[in-house]
Amino acid sequence: MPLRAARVGRVGVIGHPVAKTAVVAKAVSPGPSPVAKTAVVAAAVTPGRGRRRRI
Amino acid sequence: MTQTPLDELGPVDYVVVEFPAGESNFDGEMAKELLALSDAGTIRVIDILILTKDADGSIEAMELSDIENLGPLQQLEAELAELLAEEDVAHLAAAMDPGSTAGVLIWENLWAAPFASAARRAGGQLIADGRIPIQAILASIQADDNETTQGE
Repeated sequence: MPLRAARVGRVGVIGHPVAKTAVVAKAVSPGPSPVAKTAVVAAAVTPGRGRRRRI
Repeated sequence: MTQTPLDELGPVDYVVVEFPAGESNFDGEMAKELLALSDAGTIRVIDILILTKDADGSIEAMELSDIENLGPLQQLEAELAELLAEEDVAHLAAAMDPGSTAGVLIWENLWAAPFASAARRAGGQLIADGRIPIQAILASIQADDNETTQGE
């Protein structure tokens, strides 16, 4: 189906072809230990975890 | 659509969510969660398109209004700003695999707007932003764990 006329002939906002990113959901959900992976990420972004910073 | 003064506009983001051939399972949950975010004032949905890429790479774009029985999404459809232009369709579809369908969602982060406005009023300029992939977080943690293990 055609796009609405208002979209045709306008300058776009994306600007360049988009590259496919890694498939985030699949990286976290399937696999041998999906729950463990999710928990690790959750722990990493939990305030107060106190990871060492090396600058 | 309600007009938002430019100075009060929150950051605008987009996602392209691909559904490989035969793997879509639309049961209304996505629409429900999207509406919940909108109703809560967390985001304002600016635009939605549905793209399909045929096996030969040809692209077809559908407006949300082209879908029959939109259900609760009808209320969002009436507020869309049609920000995306025709040339954006090809750019966005470049990320898609042949044979897939994808939903493109553009939204304003209303939750961030007051902070962004305050930062602008304070003289701040956004010089970088981005998203940290979960894979990068995992890799960082793994590297730390490996280093700790080797140091023992």
